[in-house]
Amino acid sequence: MATSERVRAAAADVLYPASALCVGIALWWTIVTFADVPSFVLPSPRAVAAQLLGNPTLYAHNAWDTLEKVVYGGVVGVLAGFLLAAFVAYVPWFRRAIYPSLVTVRVVPKLAIAPLLLIYLGTGTTTATVFVALVTFFPLVLSTAAGLDRAPAEHHDLLRSVNASTLERIAYVDVPYALPDVFAGLKQSVTLAVVGAVVAEWVVADDGLGFIILLGSENVRPEVMLAALVVLLLEGLALYGVVVLAQRGVLRWVGLEFE
Amino acid sequence: MIELDDVTVAFEDFTAIADVDLRVGGDEFVTVVGPSGCGKTTLLRTIAGLQEPTTGTVCIDGRPPDVAQANADVGFVFQQHTLLPWKSALENVVFLRTMADDPPERERARALLASMGLEGFEDARPQALSGGMKQRVAIARAIHLGADVLLMDEPFGELDEITRDELGVEIRALWRRERKTVVFVTHSVPEAVFLADRCVVMGGQPGRIQRTFEVDLPTPRDEEVFGSGAFQRQVAAVRRTLHETHGHE
Repeated sequence: MATSERVRAAAADVLYPASALCVGIALWWTIVTFADVPSFVLPSPRAVAAQLLGNPTLYAHNAWDTLEKVVYGGVVGVLAGFLLAAFVAYVPWFRRAIYPSLVTVRVVPKLAIAPLLLIYLGTGTTTATVFVALVTFFPLVLSTAAGLDRAPAEHHDLLRSVNASTLERIAYVDVPYALPDVFAGLKQSVTLAVVGAVVAEWVVADDGLGFIILLGSENVRPEVMLAALVVLLLEGLALYGVVVLAQRGVLRWVGLEFE
Repeated sequence: MIELDDVTVAFEDFTAIADVDLRVGGDEFVTVVGPSGCGKTTLLRTIAGLQEPTTGTVCIDGRPPDVAQANADVGFVFQQHTLLPWKSALENVVFLRTMADDPPERERARALLASMGLEGFEDARPQALSGGMKQRVAIARAIHLGADVLLMDEPFGELDEITRDELGVEIRALWRRERKTVVFVTHSVPEAVFLADRCVVMGGQPGRIQRTFEVDLPTPRDEEVFGSGAFQRQVAAVRRTLHETHGHE
């Protein structure tokens, strides 16, 4: 009884948004067909699908190029983020010096930095990677540093009372306490990484889905752009899914998964 | 054996405790009672080596607290249970021993939990346990550590009165079984009297030991003691001392 109810609830969780999506696409189709919208303004879903399925290698190839930037930049940004967060959390003078700037710089729209990188690093994949790294880095630093602070003071006293080392304390108490925050930061980072890769491709690159979107815009081919957007959406969802799976795995392994 | 000689702990802007002399024997149960802010927690933290005395010396079995810490001789029980939320009751008990570089003894830990009424809850996470059960696990953790000295900082402070009384009876029984040196801090006078061989009354600003009572109650003790005349008289005497010192401020 309880299981069948749970299955039904899960089915409803899928069914409702799926239906809404279908209705949305149907609406799009109807408007395009009956309101006679010219295809250079809004192509029909069918035209977008035809574009996508008619040029599979083009989209697959460029999706791969974008993915490369996201992964390389993301890894660099995440590692740098962890390192800086550790410094912020455990080196008091460093925290006092850097933390206010970190919080302030967060307000700067990072997208505005891309043209600046163009001057320093030129056009190329390095620039895109650095930009993606920069974009992923910020949410991760702040949430990880906050997470490493989350363990209650009594837990630290407890470990001190048996003369445990600082490293043991960090590994067995601080890091597990930080994990939920780390993953919250990673989820923000992965979303921003895709945005960052597309922006980087607009500014510096000559490949990737962002570049396809730019080309489509210049040639007034909205179906090319929309097809690229669909692939981008799927890529973003897949990357987000990877983080969610990693989160579930790690939290379950540590014992922090309660659902 | 705990020895404090003329211990004063001063912070930047105030002195928490002054001129404290205290000796707690090998298997003695000493309670420290006093109003909030009288420095009783500071006293306990100083014994545990979590707080350096400004002047004076602290010895546990003739050695400074940090040596005792390294030998896993200090079992501290906090007001908060301080169980790690991602570990089961059993793993929490074993964890502290591992941190003290002693080999975990799961079967003994299991038996210990069972002896404290937690059989069947070994694999439960803290959030599935009641407040009283969590403190039982925290106490089991300190005992499993194998420490000679148990320092308890208002461990029942956040529990309801019924659970408090129950745990009081249990901790006395446990202490008689395990033969530990116990210093137990509380602001509840009945609790302080019920548990103690000797009850130390602290008060003043900075906190000093005002008076020490030898508690003359039968051992072993159970809930019956709460109703006895001897118990009531002891409580009244301790309370009088507390009010006198408080009145002088």
